[in-house]
Amino acid sequence: MADFVQLVVLGLLAGGVYVAVGIGFGLVWGVLNIVNLAHGALVIIGGYITWQLFSAFHIDPFLSLPVDAVALFVLGYTLQRGVINRIIRAPLLFTFLLTFGLNLVIINVLLLMFGSDFRSVTPSYSGQGLELGNVVVPYTRLASLGVAILTAAALAFVLNRTRIGLAINAISADRDAAQLVGIDLRHAYAMTYGLGAACAGVAGGLIAMIQAITPTAGEPYTLQAFVVVILGGLGRVSATVVGGLAFGLVEAFGQSIPGSGSVFANAIAFGLMVLVLVTRPQGLMGRLR
Amino acid sequence: MTVRKLALLAVAVVAAFACGTASSGPTTGSTITLGAPLGLTGSLTKESILTQQGYNLWQDWINARGGILVGGVKHPVVIKYYDDTSSANQSAVLMQKLITEDKAQFLLGPYGSAATATDAAIAEQNQIPMVEANGAAQSIFNQGYKYTFGVLSPANKYLQGVIDMAATLNPKPTTVFMLSADDNFSLEVANAIVTYAPTKGMTVFPVKKYKNGATNLSAEVQAAKAANADIVLNSGHLQEAIAINKAAKEQKLNAKIFAYSVGPSTPDFIAALGKDADYVYDGSQWTPQVKYTPAFYLTVAQYVAAYKAKYPGLGDPDYHVAESTAACLALQRAIENAGSLDAKKVRDALAALDVTVFFGQIKFDTRGINIYKPMVVEQIQSGVHHTVFPSNIADAQPMYPTPNWDQR
Repeated sequence: MADFVQLVVLGLLAGGVYVAVGIGFGLVWGVLNIVNLAHGALVIIGGYITWQLFSAFHIDPFLSLPVDAVALFVLGYTLQRGVINRIIRAPLLFTFLLTFGLNLVIINVLLLMFGSDFRSVTPSYSGQGLELGNVVVPYTRLASLGVAILTAAALAFVLNRTRIGLAINAISADRDAAQLVGIDLRHAYAMTYGLGAACAGVAGGLIAMIQAITPTAGEPYTLQAFVVVILGGLGRVSATVVGGLAFGLVEAFGQSIPGSGSVFANAIAFGLMVLVLVTRPQGLMGRLR
Repeated sequence: MTVRKLALLAVAVVAAFACGTASSGPTTGSTITLGAPLGLTGSLTKESILTQQGYNLWQDWINARGGILVGGVKHPVVIKYYDDTSSANQSAVLMQKLITEDKAQFLLGPYGSAATATDAAIAEQNQIPMVEANGAAQSIFNQGYKYTFGVLSPANKYLQGVIDMAATLNPKPTTVFMLSADDNFSLEVANAIVTYAPTKGMTVFPVKKYKNGATNLSAEVQAAKAANADIVLNSGHLQEAIAINKAAKEQKLNAKIFAYSVGPSTPDFIAALGKDADYVYDGSQWTPQVKYTPAFYLTVAQYVAAYKAKYPGLGDPDYHVAESTAACLALQRAIENAGSLDAKKVRDALAALDVTVFFGQIKFDTRGINIYKPMVVEQIQSGVHHTVFPSNIADAQPMYPTPNWDQR
């Protein structure tokens, strides 16, 4: 029983990271209709900023998360405004090619700057945790889950309660109508991508604490974000939160299958994704559009 | 009279000696071209650069001596490199280019088992010997290839030293939990432990496999915790070793021995984990503390000094550098023994080679892999690598048992 509870706890905590990675990806996909293959690379930039601030200035990794968010927002805004906007109405394949290219460029710039060494942020409290009987709740992972939920809440607030958020929602509903009522499309697109990148930056900061990062470490996260968003459903931040936590739980239980269960953890997650697509194409919590 | 005779004799001797050295001394022959594709960009940059350093150290040394001596003629050496961008397929393409366009006479291996496997096929097709130092998966050598030789200990030896060491410790650990990534190399390491540990009186739990490159290993660590084994082994890569060590601390997984096949020997492991890296063991191909008596080239101490002189500020050479130099030495000695630059003759000389250098004994089994050199066991103690096994070459005692996480 304690083992079961422990797995649930670990699954939910791991899910926190997937939530953080998924929300930005889901926003860009839902609004701009871009499957952003550079998302994992943006995540890792956030990780490197946190690592750099920690190793050079001893800044606590949680305190550097806002820096990650702002830096990635600026980068994301610039990328969309300067590059991606040019092909926004082109067929889907072009956005794939462009974001894949961006992914390669970012990875190689990071390789030039930081080399391929493995970096990880290990603050003094790393590894400590709350012990409830036989169940351990690691503090950093708990705090990461908290940060992920807060980031999701903040994003939901921006999207639903601010002028730019409403503009983004309007574009998501109908691009041409939004333009007709005077929304500056290029600015709103760039804001959307910027917000998505900012969420990726926060996720990267969290990931740097949990694992070791290299410039190429972001690639699995692009894939995981894809699954998380489909599981939860496009078009709502809360749906991505549910998708992320569900993915974390599925992974934890998949990995705990005795023997070679872990090898199939991804297969199980993707199988679940297919099942959701077949039975509930809008996702567990998504809205059909 | 006798004095004059003696003087004449002396002059004659000196003259004969001078003429002798001038006439029978080696002349300089054609330059030997060696080829090596390396991942100078991409995900294997770090290890590939270490490999290149090892090759270059030997190249400088041999050329300072005029080159490789073949039948009284010294042939200088040039190593031609290409960047395979850390891709095994690209590595094979470049290997072929090295052979056909650059006329490489002999080949040195790329970095990693994946690229070595694809390159070995090219070496075989072209019947050009490849001596490699960075592909330890036995699957490379089980293809029946005749032209690929690996100077390093094969994968199945990687963690056996840890089991041998554990068997000498008191209280003796009796249970082993084995985690493994699902790539060829890692599974070979793990499966070897499953068959080897019982011969030392230890029980092994079923191997817990995980996806190669997995980022979240908390469920695996939880399984290890539930097993409550004395020894926790991981056969994977640096990134997974770091993730497991972090999760072990978070989830309070305690064991008497933590040993990981690959990872702890690199400086990155200590840099990433700080104090949490202490007490971790790993199997290493070579350490700067080993004591071998070399038949030629440098002693271990001279090698370390030569590395530090050429690459100042990088600390001691790690085993990737040493094994790469050893590959060059094996090739050099084989060419000398063959007395020829003919690929077939050098291949036969490699197959018959048996020589000890600073890296250890180099001798190949019929498949072409060096099963004769033992692995050594290292432990991180207060942030520094120490060789702790075998005891005759160790520079420190194992710190055993590993204290529980809350008592560190």
